[in-house]
Amino acid sequence: MSYVIFFLAAIIAIAGALGVVMLRDPFFSVLSLVCHLIALALLFLLLRAELIAAVQVVVYAGAVMVLYVFVVAYIGDGSERLADRLRRGTVAQPLLRTGALLAGSALLAELLIALTGSGLKAVESAGAPYHKGPRAFGTPAFIGKLLLTRFLLAFEIASFLLLVAAVGAVVLAGRRGREDEEAPPQGAGAPALQGAAGGPPAGGELVEAAR
Amino acid sequence: MMLAPALVGYAEPWWIQIIKSIVIFAVGLQLVPVVLIVERKLLGRFQGRYGPNRVGPYGLLQPLADIIKLLTKEQFRPRTAVGFLFALAPTLSILTAVAAFALIPFGDVQHIFGTRVGLYGVDLSIGPLYLFSFSAIAFYGIMLGGWSSGSKYSFLGAMRAAAQLISYEVSQGLALLGVIISAQTLSLTGIVHAQGGMWYFIPQAVGFLIFLTASFAETNRTPFDVTEADAELVAGYNTEYGGGRFASYYFAEYLNVLVVSGIVTTVFFGGWLMPFGIHPPGWVDPIVVLVKMAIITFLFIWVRATLPRLRYDQIMSLGWKVLLPLASANALLTAIVVVVTH
Repeated sequence: MSYVIFFLAAIIAIAGALGVVMLRDPFFSVLSLVCHLIALALLFLLLRAELIAAVQVVVYAGAVMVLYVFVVAYIGDGSERLADRLRRGTVAQPLLRTGALLAGSALLAELLIALTGSGLKAVESAGAPYHKGPRAFGTPAFIGKLLLTRFLLAFEIASFLLLVAAVGAVVLAGRRGREDEEAPPQGAGAPALQGAAGGPPAGGELVEAAR
Repeated sequence: MMLAPALVGYAEPWWIQIIKSIVIFAVGLQLVPVVLIVERKLLGRFQGRYGPNRVGPYGLLQPLADIIKLLTKEQFRPRTAVGFLFALAPTLSILTAVAAFALIPFGDVQHIFGTRVGLYGVDLSIGPLYLFSFSAIAFYGIMLGGWSSGSKYSFLGAMRAAAQLISYEVSQGLALLGVIISAQTLSLTGIVHAQGGMWYFIPQAVGFLIFLTASFAETNRTPFDVTEADAELVAGYNTEYGGGRFASYYFAEYLNVLVVSGIVTTVFFGGWLMPFGIHPPGWVDPIVVLVKMAIITFLFIWVRATLPRLRYDQIMSLGWKVLLPLASANALLTAIVVVVTH
């Protein structure tokens, strides 16, 4: 039974991950990422890490991905491919490519070091043994204790990082809001003109392309 | 290979688990039409009319008529809809509602047929987190339904649902934190056992009120039903749904009300425990839970009949500026009290 669940979850996870990068419509990309995350939660369950599985679903599928879905559903109408948008973008294409390549290979190297560093010892083992009780492996009590003793520093640094990110987001959003409020009196209708002019050029390009 | 067959340690043999899940599902399934008719009858009374009274004695067969009507309808789909997701979304909603129902404990472990049977679907070490994971997935039921309908009303309803669910899930979780700190366990049966002295709605009154309010929002009930505000959005995220698929959404909504009543009963009103130190025999436990759930459900209907719908910005500011700080303060205060008194 656990084999069936494992392979099912693993296949869904890999298919979901592939779907994220291969699907054309960003909305479906996000949905396949959700599938991927839920499949990962299933794998965590198989490893008797109930809390991690629940957190995986609550935090990633339930909070982070909800925001992704929200944003993509609002502004990603799917009529324009992501690649096209990038091609037209202001960021220089080669710079973006090399940047992505560098970041990707750095992540790969990091993962490989982490994987081979453990010597893949866990592959042959059966995972944590199942104990019944409130403080067994994978329960909230077990992980809570680890977080507040052995991994206290990492835990606190991570939470501090998140706090900084949250404060930064608020500051950025607040600044843009203020600019929007101040802009109309200064520009005296210029933004409206810009907005109105935003449509026609694209149409003009199309017409020219058709000719 | 990587995984040995899991050594699961559930108390019951597999056949009892299967019987149990069927029984609990059947009970949940039967409760939904009861809630439906009670709600319509009560809403009628609250508004000075009779409510449904044509089908069967006292109109009691009205839900049956509704269900037959819905199920025999044509399966309709707008041309702009995304077919696959349009069909999947109501399924997700109903699936998560039923899954969450498994969490509610209807009684302690009993001796039936010579084996020990816990009168609940599952008793997990992660307890409420299981509930929150399924309510996280339930969001996709609403969101995908609204998005894939290809209609602006549905889309707006789904968007409102998204914002509302995220905002109130946080307060809901934090409100439970006070109880969890006091009970020092996440297991729902453990929380019930911890209420032997006093039910948590007295020491955790703030947490209880926040949880209840957030639950109204999470189940999209009035006064938080902007997701299906019929005055502005036709019917919100389920505008384009009809027939069996609409029935699924409808069923899921009422099952969610039952789930939330069950959780409130378990967490704040002592689950199967009776007040004044009465210890009835084990078979009374589920009845006690059901009666308490009925009272909470009545409260849901009462609030629906009494309060007007809140405006969208009012909902957001209530969630973020009132409930969230209150819930955080409540959790913090409870933690301090627990540390000091232990």
